[in-house]
Amino acid sequence: MDLSLTDSQQMLKASAADFVKNEIPQRAITEFSKKGIGITPEMWAGAASLGWLGMLIPREYGGGGASFSDAAVVFEELGRGPVPGPFFSSGVLSALTILEGGSETQKRELLPDIARGSRIATLVINDPNPFFGPEAVETEAVESGGDYVLNGMRPFVHDAMDADTFICAFKTGSSRYPEQNITLFLVTKDTPGVSVRGLRGFVGPIGEVAFDSVRVPKSAVLGAPNGGWPALDRAMLKAIPVLCSYQVGACQQVFEFTSEYTRTRVVFAQPIGRFQRVQDHVIDLSIHMDGARWTTNEALWKLDSGRDARASVHLAKAVASEGYYQACNSSFEVHAGIGTDRNHPLVPHGMMSRMLYQYLGNPRYHKLQMVDAEDL
Amino acid sequence: MDFEMDFAKGLEGFQEEVRQFLEKNIPKEPRAVASEPYTREEWLWRRALAEGLGERGWLFPTYPKEYGGGGLTVNHAYVIAEEVAKYGLMFARMCVSTVHNSGATVSAPCLLLWATEEQKREILVPMLTGKTVTWQLLTEPQSGSDIASTATRAVRDGDEYVINGQKTFVGGPYEADNFWALVNTDPSAPRHRNLSYIMIPANLPGISVYPLDLVTADETRQNNSVFFDNVRVPAFYRIGGENEGWKVAATHLEYEHGGAGTPVAESEALQQLFAYCKTTQFRGKPLSKDPEMRDILADIRVEGQVNRLLQLRNFWKAYSKEGMSYEGSQALYYRRMSTLRNAQRVQEVLGYPAVISDSSWTPGDGEIELFVRHGFGGLHGGGTHDVDRVIVARRMGLGRTVQEEAGEMV
Repeated sequence: MDLSLTDSQQMLKASAADFVKNEIPQRAITEFSKKGIGITPEMWAGAASLGWLGMLIPREYGGGGASFSDAAVVFEELGRGPVPGPFFSSGVLSALTILEGGSETQKRELLPDIARGSRIATLVINDPNPFFGPEAVETEAVESGGDYVLNGMRPFVHDAMDADTFICAFKTGSSRYPEQNITLFLVTKDTPGVSVRGLRGFVGPIGEVAFDSVRVPKSAVLGAPNGGWPALDRAMLKAIPVLCSYQVGACQQVFEFTSEYTRTRVVFAQPIGRFQRVQDHVIDLSIHMDGARWTTNEALWKLDSGRDARASVHLAKAVASEGYYQACNSSFEVHAGIGTDRNHPLVPHGMMSRMLYQYLGNPRYHKLQMVDAEDL
Repeated sequence: MDFEMDFAKGLEGFQEEVRQFLEKNIPKEPRAVASEPYTREEWLWRRALAEGLGERGWLFPTYPKEYGGGGLTVNHAYVIAEEVAKYGLMFARMCVSTVHNSGATVSAPCLLLWATEEQKREILVPMLTGKTVTWQLLTEPQSGSDIASTATRAVRDGDEYVINGQKTFVGGPYEADNFWALVNTDPSAPRHRNLSYIMIPANLPGISVYPLDLVTADETRQNNSVFFDNVRVPAFYRIGGENEGWKVAATHLEYEHGGAGTPVAESEALQQLFAYCKTTQFRGKPLSKDPEMRDILADIRVEGQVNRLLQLRNFWKAYSKEGMSYEGSQALYYRRMSTLRNAQRVQEVLGYPAVISDSSWTPGDGEIELFVRHGFGGLHGGGTHDVDRVIVARRMGLGRTVQEEAGEMV
């Protein structure tokens, strides 16, 4: 047993940390969170030149062919920001969905562009209901004259404003097994009838994508008709631990600036960290952080070593999403007023933690998926 | 015991009068998004509404008539509270708030207890009749929960005090006429014997106000930093003795820390949530009938009811002059933590719409997203939740032989 990073991972971690610190400073993150936007072209080009946009894409499709734990090292540093933008939604989740579900032609057409950053993709999964899973996808696509016609308003699309390519889940089948009813469509933003609008709130960059009689050919189907959910499921199983590592990095950052504040903020003539009530909040935070870290690391290891990772992945998502949410609450309990200032680093974390809490299923969903996977 | 809230019984004529007044004096057009600040135009009609209520003695209904209050009973006050709530206006600490008037709601009882007759005529009357708006100025960058460490300096110079310092996390949108501030009048004196309370006219030279950009901001909430640069304030405006501000603060803080309670404690956001869950169908049944969602909704409901009853108890204790001890801070602490827990539950029930303010995707027009933000940001006003617990422990006499007493209330 050895739970440490490899030497090359240590180097990767250092260079990722440098990039985030130098290229995406705190004030940029504050601006992004105030405006609800994700990236600048310079940031994106910088990340592309470091090979971060296609880390998990095999070399034959223009990617880096890295392991999941390598990708996690980078995402942990991005999470420290928290750096918003489609790093995960395009470079990890969309790329893996295309890899798991796409035809050879689709892989060759899309993956190299995603890896070099010239194409930004994101998933359109959610419908206007509070549930997640294949049965929660209710908007139907209709076959018509050899094409498909897509209609409907799809909310809660992460990084919608930055993306030019949408991988959209629509209901196409009527089997009693919901996972056999979903088709994934590749739809570019410039397709007639597609419109995108950003949404505001206590969240990171998110938007709605409207489909108004959008006609797409059969070749826009990713993989096979009605075969979308199994592909997406396989992709999510691999992608989620990388997302969790982003949440781990975020917790780490929140832990560090919160601990520092307990040493420097003086109230009642002593640093607030001397008060046991204040210490308790940071201790709670650390437990959420370390719980997220080790459930995530074990899931990554299982993926990289070819073990059955399903239950571990769901565990990690449940623990990391809850952990990041609660870490922000604990940090707020320590910071009080100053932590509500939009210029304080805690605010973008608070907003991002609420958004990632929902992303690809909330903790409750993943806990139940975990016990299903364990056949409890 | 009788929990029946029959406040309006026998007051039907009064109730009708209040209804008609509000109907006539509140514009019909609703705001675009409740979670965003209102316009100056709206602020102006809200101020005019305060004056209209004040003329009738309905702004501070239970306060003495001779100082601009209504001289009315608690029952009248409750009737007013119920009617203004229909328009989303707050009634707390026996006062209708049409705009941010934090200084008035907490200083009015202090003035009644501690001001001279002359001060009451000059300061209290315009306050109770809605002619002035007052912000309370307590928090400083280095003095939040530990309010006794107030550093804003007031130096006596003849008939004036010269004030220098900074207050922060104070006030609301647009302007105030007066600031109700705690200042340090003797840095060499021991703690609690070095502070004074003073009412500062907001138009004096040397005062500057800068808005803060906070996540807690909404239609009525907007905090600011206020800077004092050699501001000369007539000593007449000091309330209570020099260096005796901590006694006044005891009254102030008792009100601020929830001691007054409220008979109306149902959150508008939660009412909207329940209505939405009953009427919105998913998978062929209302969301409220989904077994998992129902369980979460039940938890929200339980905490909402406990909160309501703790507030009601405080309301009853305060106005029946039953003795108060730990109740104010206990109820405040519970409400804060419960809002934080319920914010998460609301997100579990609604999903993304709980954190999105766009009215096309969330029930209502942003109140729920606001509720979630306040869960994050509502823990600290008037001292953190940790301080609430300190006060409860002291009042209960935990580990002490002498219990700390509650501040004097009107």
